[in-house]
Amino acid sequence: MKTITAIILTSVFVIVPVLASQSGRDELSPEPNVHFAPLHIYLDSGDRSLAAFQFELKATAGQIEIVGVEGGDHKVFSEAPYYDPAALAQDRIIIAAFNTGQDLPTGRTRIATIHLQIAGPVEPHYELNLTVAGDADGEKIPAKLTCEKGE
Amino acid sequence: MTEKMSNFDENPDLEVSSKLTEDLQTLFKPLLSVPPEVDRAVQDRVNRHFARRRFTGARRRFRWVALWKVAAAAAVVIFAFSLNLTDTPKQDVRYSALAKSEAADFDRNGRVDILDAFKLARRIELASSNSADLDINGDGLVNHDDVDMVALAAVSLTPAKRGPGKGVF
Repeated sequence: MKTITAIILTSVFVIVPVLASQSGRDELSPEPNVHFAPLHIYLDSGDRSLAAFQFELKATAGQIEIVGVEGGDHKVFSEAPYYDPAALAQDRIIIAAFNTGQDLPTGRTRIATIHLQIAGPVEPHYELNLTVAGDADGEKIPAKLTCEKGE
Repeated sequence: MTEKMSNFDENPDLEVSSKLTEDLQTLFKPLLSVPPEVDRAVQDRVNRHFARRRFTGARRRFRWVALWKVAAAAAVVIFAFSLNLTDTPKQDVRYSALAKSEAADFDRNGRVDILDAFKLARRIELASSNSADLDINGDGLVNHDDVDMVALAAVSLTPAKRGPGKGVF
């Protein structure tokens, strides 16, 4: 009898904190109206070769969560770029990449794709800020940053 | 001599007659002898009975021990989850401090960005410098780990006050 009582008490002490923490997480759980979509990021450096870039993306409308980041089209930027893992599950991220090679892209090229979880009926809007773009000499170059929503 | 004593002989004959002896033996001898097969069968049943009792008791003890083990394992797992071991706040602080420090601002434009990582990588590739100033992570080596450190500082989301430059680690 004592053993059964001890087990019941232990179970209660174990289960109650779990349920309490679970109830806290439930508030953060996604709403039912949730879908996923990629957001392709393009950078046009004109006739200058692109060796490095850094930009910031922020959602200005809608409810999004960043769930993943992948590299771009050109082979020098095909690997996943640098980003802060803390940006995952947030609506703001800073992304950067560089390559010290010589075979660099010019013109308009996809530099990254950000995978998003979009909740709610509001179509999200994004704010893109190019922090810096650089050429093969590490010098700052002008470039135009755009994004396209993928399927 | 009393009257009672006078009713007995002085030297009574203590010999029992053979007839009486036979009658008594017939009367008190075992009625049936137990055959050895019956003995073995009874012994087997007794052994089986007590063996089952021993096994049931052991199984019951095992079940309680297993329950306690499961409860203990569950408690350990829950405790581990409650610690949230995936968080690395110290690393975030290091990157954010580096992002504001002059040590990684190689182009001296007042901020650490990806061009600083690019320039550090280029200098390491060209082996133009092995200066201790380029040892960003303080591990005694100047290599790609230092470049990664600067790049991750550039993309850090954690705000921080301006660091004291070299030696923030």
